[in-house]
Amino acid sequence: MFFKLSFKNVKKSFRDYTLYFLTLTFGVCVFYVFNSIESQKAMMKISTSTLQMMKTLTQLMGYVSVFVSFILGFLIVYANNFLVRRRKKEFGIYMIHGMEKGKVAKLLVSETFLIGTLSLFAGLFAGVFISRGLSVVTAKLFEVDMTAYRFVFSPGAFVKTIIYFSIIFITVMVMSTVSISKYKLIDLINAEKQNEKPKIKSPVITILLFILSIGCIGTAYYLVLKNGIIILDRRLFIEILLGSIGTFLFFASLSGFFLKFIQSNKKLYFKGLNMFILRQINSRINTTHISISLICLMLFCTIGILSTGMGFNNAMNESYKYCTPYDVSFWSYDTSFTSDENLSILGKLNEYGFNLYNYTDEVVETAVYKYADETFTKRIILEKAYDFLPKSMQLFQMDTPLFLLKLSDYNKLMRLQGSKEISLTENQVAVYSDYAESTPDLKKALIKFTEMKDPISISGKNYEVYPEVLTNGIITSPASGIMLALVVPDHMVKENTVYMKMLSFNCKGDKANERKEMLLKIESDLLEFGEKFEDVNEELKLSGITAESVKNIATGLKAVIAFIGIYLGIIFLISSAAVLALQQLSEAADNRHRYNILQKLGADSKLINSALFRQIAIYFMLPLALACIHSIVGIKVANDAIADTGDINAVGNIIMTAILIIIVYGAYFLATYFSSKNIILNKKTAN
Amino acid sequence: MPKILDPFNKHNYHEQNNNSKEVLRVVNVEKYYGNKGNLTKAIDNVSFSVNEGEFVGIMGASGSGKTTLLNCISTIDNVTSGHIYIRGKDITEMDSKLLSRFRREELGFIFQDYNLLDTLTCFENIILPLSISGVNHKEAEKKVEYVAKQLEIADILSKYPYQLSGGQRQRTAAARAIINNPSIVLADEPTGSLDSKASRMLLESLENLNKNLNTTILMVTHDAFTASYCSRIIFIKDGKLFNELIKGENTRKEFFNRIIDVITLLGGDAGNVL
Repeated sequence: MFFKLSFKNVKKSFRDYTLYFLTLTFGVCVFYVFNSIESQKAMMKISTSTLQMMKTLTQLMGYVSVFVSFILGFLIVYANNFLVRRRKKEFGIYMIHGMEKGKVAKLLVSETFLIGTLSLFAGLFAGVFISRGLSVVTAKLFEVDMTAYRFVFSPGAFVKTIIYFSIIFITVMVMSTVSISKYKLIDLINAEKQNEKPKIKSPVITILLFILSIGCIGTAYYLVLKNGIIILDRRLFIEILLGSIGTFLFFASLSGFFLKFIQSNKKLYFKGLNMFILRQINSRINTTHISISLICLMLFCTIGILSTGMGFNNAMNESYKYCTPYDVSFWSYDTSFTSDENLSILGKLNEYGFNLYNYTDEVVETAVYKYADETFTKRIILEKAYDFLPKSMQLFQMDTPLFLLKLSDYNKLMRLQGSKEISLTENQVAVYSDYAESTPDLKKALIKFTEMKDPISISGKNYEVYPEVLTNGIITSPASGIMLALVVPDHMVKENTVYMKMLSFNCKGDKANERKEMLLKIESDLLEFGEKFEDVNEELKLSGITAESVKNIATGLKAVIAFIGIYLGIIFLISSAAVLALQQLSEAADNRHRYNILQKLGADSKLINSALFRQIAIYFMLPLALACIHSIVGIKVANDAIADTGDINAVGNIIMTAILIIIVYGAYFLATYFSSKNIILNKKTAN
Repeated sequence: MPKILDPFNKHNYHEQNNNSKEVLRVVNVEKYYGNKGNLTKAIDNVSFSVNEGEFVGIMGASGSGKTTLLNCISTIDNVTSGHIYIRGKDITEMDSKLLSRFRREELGFIFQDYNLLDTLTCFENIILPLSISGVNHKEAEKKVEYVAKQLEIADILSKYPYQLSGGQRQRTAAARAIINNPSIVLADEPTGSLDSKASRMLLESLENLNKNLNTTILMVTHDAFTASYCSRIIFIKDGKLFNELIKGENTRKEFFNRIIDVITLLGGDAGNVL
């Protein structure tokens, strides 16, 4: 009987529930899709290293999903509260007719159960299909080939989605039961009588608050532009805090300030329904400014995550070329290894039965050195070179050792990759940075530094700077950790000050496909070797990687970042839009009364439609507008930060982000407008 | 009592003394609800007319069809058959766009539950119809002040409806109703939510508007005291015209007693009388 009543209720108020239901369904769908990415590998041809990255992604998605489920949980609880508030009178009537509170709560619980179950399965159903489409994106991001389309179903993601959303819905049921039990009958019955008193703030305070908010936001912008966001410290925290406080104050005072501002122009204020619209928005924002501020910040995060998260891609794409000059490299930083002149990488590998000459004809083993003097740091070069860099990009610690490369080693390495060798005179040194190619600003600064022709002093002797900045990679590795070094004549280096030892080679085989086969062989052999000696890893103290793996890790990493960015971005976006929509729709009953009065006063439907449209449009646009302004600053700063690891093409991503926002946000806006119009202007219910 | 001249009245002042000028004419109006099997005649062949400057009351028990009739006249509801002419224009044949304009220009409304916009101040509530009509704001503001003075609400114009008493709210609504100089003000149980003191004040205000500004008022009520302020009363029973009373030279007290007599005749219960 109760189930029947609740079923009827859901059916009856389907129009009110539509947006709620669709949001839930969409949330479930996104949740499933992003948790099922690993299962899509069934459709792709992937290497072992890409598989590793996919595993990492799945793991990360797990953590992110917990966060996402909290956001969705809050959204659902919030939305449910709205629906309960709208139906207070209905519950009051049930109770007046003798239904106990427990039973009303039971009714509500079964309705939530019904909606929850429906949206859960609708969302999963949609998710299974959409994940198929997403596999194209997955393949593209991981840069692997699709084998064939086929039906993939991820039982893990399926069960996970059901468990997470069941927990959310159970929480909602408990919370609505608690809230029903708190209401008094009189409040429920009188719920529809308007007793919301508009909060009237003094205009002086409003204007002061508004100025203060602009001040806060402006200071935050100024500081963040000046300091950048590379170093996570107290300054950044203060900037974020200032920006957030500014945003809250902005929305707390905006509508009042705006109202006063327009009121001063009476001609505009008393024109058509302007006065009415402004007052509507004012009364709405006065009661919801906290949630609007939160929405604004969420939208800011959405724009930031989407446009920079995807932008990270290009940055890594560019730099990986300089990270893979050879087919395979091995290296060791371990001091017990580097300090022993008798240990070589080649010898050690042979000791463990891994003969490199099975794969190649020529290996080059070199080392990177540290100067014994502790004052010989990167400061020597960077102090001057930093004058040519924007402050936000000065990310290297100056007081770390400036590394040395032997000229002969450098030339051996260049010969192996077929690049130009150099020659230095006795009192000449060359500036080397494997970081410069991916950071054009740094490269420019270093070039300017060499052009200054300032001699470098080493052990009291001045050395002339080689006119060219050396930027070719010298090791195949995702991150070499060298960053900045000097290439010096061999005799200046003492053998016992090795920082790292490294060995590189190219696979043998004249033809391209022969070499490729050899590469694949060594990749799997290396993996096997690594697994075999896993327990003696400590003793081995060696790392090795193939160019292919470096590439896969790089593309994998950017895919991971892009996926998590898109995932969070979409969740933030639908949450914000859904809250705005629900706020407008929950007010539709009050609005119906108001618009009805307007109709009776003789406002024609064109005027009323445009008033409603403008009211909802302004309400949706306000948080988005401020979020966009925040984002301009945010993206600029993020760009500077990412540009350190590579130049990014932000424009494309910003366009993509804009399109996504316009579609999702726009859909919510239109849905809100049309359902409000339906509720408000429904002729049947007009008195 | 010397008449105050309304400087903004669009109608020729002298013509308004001519009581024969017709503002509203209802001709054979019928309003049916339901379908063939179960037909309810809410209004059954009703005809009457209201002249300019009249204060007409419509009385009847609940369910007699008086509010339905008012809704038809106010263009909120449409008739099943018959015609309603306001200033000679047939409102039953207008489309919705024309009706909006017509409501704006020719009609003023006062409702039982005030129907003020809670987000707007009194001043803004009163000026709203003028804003909708696109009247210049300077002229509009002058009008609001003038009307507010007439209704003795000039000192509360900057307040919000929730800060006001019921009587003040209803007088604000009355001010909004007449701000456009409508041909006719339609009032639906205007004293329904007010106590007796506030009712008296409101009715005196309406009487004042009727006498001083020559505002034509059509008021629906079931309360004999409220009705006694009218100059003429039309009684409705079961959707049909039942009787008509004209105040003429009677005092209000005498008129009130005559109304009670008719109500007794109508079979209305005595509870309505007290």
